[in-house]
Amino acid sequence: MKIITWFGTLTLDSDGKVVEWDLFPKDTDVLAERLIQPKEADMNIPPTGFDIRAAAIECGFVASNDEYDKLLRDVSIRAAKQQISSGTPDMGIIQAVEALDDIDETANTLSERLAEWYGMYFPEVGLSSEPLVRFVAKYGSRSNIPTDDRLYEKATSSMGAELTGLDEELVKGFAENICTLYDSRSRIEEYLVKSMETTAPNLVNIAGALIGARLVSMAGGLEKLARFPSSTIQVIGANRALFKHLRARAPSPKHGIIFNNPIIKNAPWWQRGKIARALAAKISLAVRMDVYSGELNESIKTELDAKIESIKAANPKPPKRENKNKNKGGKVKGKGQKQNTGGRR
Amino acid sequence: MAAKEVSAGIFEITERGGKQLATINLVPSASVYGEKLIEIEGCEYRIWNPKRSKLAAMVIKKFNVPIKRDSKVLYLGAASGTTVSHVSDIVSDGIVYAVEFSQRTMRDLIGLCDVRSNIVPILADANRPQSYAHIVEEVDVIFQDVAQPNQSEIAAVNAKQFLKRDGHLLLSIKARSIDTVANPKKVFKEEVRKLENDFDVKFEVADSQELMPFHEDHLGVMARVRHV
Ligand SMILES: C[S@@+](CC[C@H](N)C(=O)[O-])C[C@H]1O[C@@H](n2cnc3c(N)ncnc32)[C@H](O)[C@@H]1O
Repeated sequence: MKIITWFGTLTLDSDGKVVEWDLFPKDTDVLAERLIQPKEADMNIPPTGFDIRAAAIECGFVASNDEYDKLLRDVSIRAAKQQISSGTPDMGIIQAVEALDDIDETANTLSERLAEWYGMYFPEVGLSSEPLVRFVAKYGSRSNIPTDDRLYEKATSSMGAELTGLDEELVKGFAENICTLYDSRSRIEEYLVKSMETTAPNLVNIAGALIGARLVSMAGGLEKLARFPSSTIQVIGANRALFKHLRARAPSPKHGIIFNNPIIKNAPWWQRGKIARALAAKISLAVRMDVYSGELNESIKTELDAKIESIKAANPKPPKRENKNKNKGGKVKGKGQKQNTGGRR
Repeated sequence: MAAKEVSAGIFEITERGGKQLATINLVPSASVYGEKLIEIEGCEYRIWNPKRSKLAAMVIKKFNVPIKRDSKVLYLGAASGTTVSHVSDIVSDGIVYAVEFSQRTMRDLIGLCDVRSNIVPILADANRPQSYAHIVEEVDVIFQDVAQPNQSEIAAVNAKQFLKRDGHLLLSIKARSIDTVANPKKVFKEEVRKLENDFDVKFEVADSQELMPFHEDHLGVMARVRHV
């Protein structure tokens, strides 16, 4: 039998005697690393009654009891420090998602200010938010817009004032600053995609990295998300709609942020509720898989795809609504209403 | 002022008529959690308040505490190390494996391990002894204070993996974490029954007493494994 200990792997004979050993490097960092992740395929823990201290001395890993104590203590302290300082990776994800939201809010405010400011000099520009910001940062004054630019004509015939000197410097600099916010935003998104792929590969596979990250963030962590029932996952992020539902007996919200997933977004309205329910159920399964095994399991995605196909096949046409509104005159109501009564609820 | 050893490494200090428990400070002049330090005849003692430690309460209740100077102790539910520090004083030639699963309290515990040479910190769930079986050797004593609904089971699975044949279990059972409404006496009785019958490892309870007035609705238990 092969067993694992903090200092190496040992092979025991049927009497529990050590017959072979493979010792880890005697380096505190390496040992601490191993201590945290001892799992290796077909490895067993020491059988009861096995003396791992005696084995360490017998294999020559340490020379004395004192050395055993000292080394094990150093390694354990190092390991414990590592475990608490690295926090859990989902803490980084939560912070990153919140940083994204902060950046969006700030960038929004600032780009609106820029739009108003730049409007004095080029009211016909017809751009807003990021495209506007990038445009101003690049050219500044209208007079710098090259002839091959789409906006060249508009720029030459603009009714706006001339942007020169200190004003130009200021406006351009202001736009450049906002650009760094947008740059930072895309770096955070890249980080989220990478970090989600390693922490929650199954969730990414089902919900996508960014929506997945948002779910993790709103739940307060991957493990917390794993404890949510799928009915809750379905409405995470639908808070405002949910309160409205509770207060005003509005139809209960069917879609939280998972609504942003293209498989729901691109589906016809009468299928969305059913697809959202199926998606939430699979997300819940995927998150639990991520917490307990951490390995990608393609079958969840396959099952989800099959489920969605069957929903689409079973509901090819919008449901008739006559019977629902019978006592109200039986007429089909306006478009907005359709959205609310679509699906099953 | 006088110090009398009431159990290995545990002292009763008489001062102005009052009696207090104490252990000899392994790291002189350092107070761990604000406890008082007293010097008697060139030896520094740390006062040990039974209200802050179930083990100290068990000493006052005259449990025959089986911890010796060279004992190996597995401590489950170490928290920030209030009691662990006194056990570390007692086993000056032994070792304490301190298991705790809350990251926040582990931070304090590591600080304690940094200055005390005989504590091995382990961030793990005591429900899963297999997750630290590659670290912990067989021990003389398991002390457990986890305040969990399945306290007896946790004791049993750990005793099975780690307790020496003639080793001892010291257990603090908190009635409220098992059943918030039931009569504590009933809960205690049931837990003792479980310890004696329900698991792979069957215990023989040597002593059990409530820890009043120091800890309300807590039962202290000392047990050994019954071998057939
Ligand atoms: C009552 S406190 C212990 C106090 C400590 N014995 C003392 O006297 O200083 C209980 C501790 O057990 C920890 N705990 C609870 N369940 C646990 C488990 N399954 N594994 C490890 N530690 C656990 C809690 O985090 C908490 O810190």
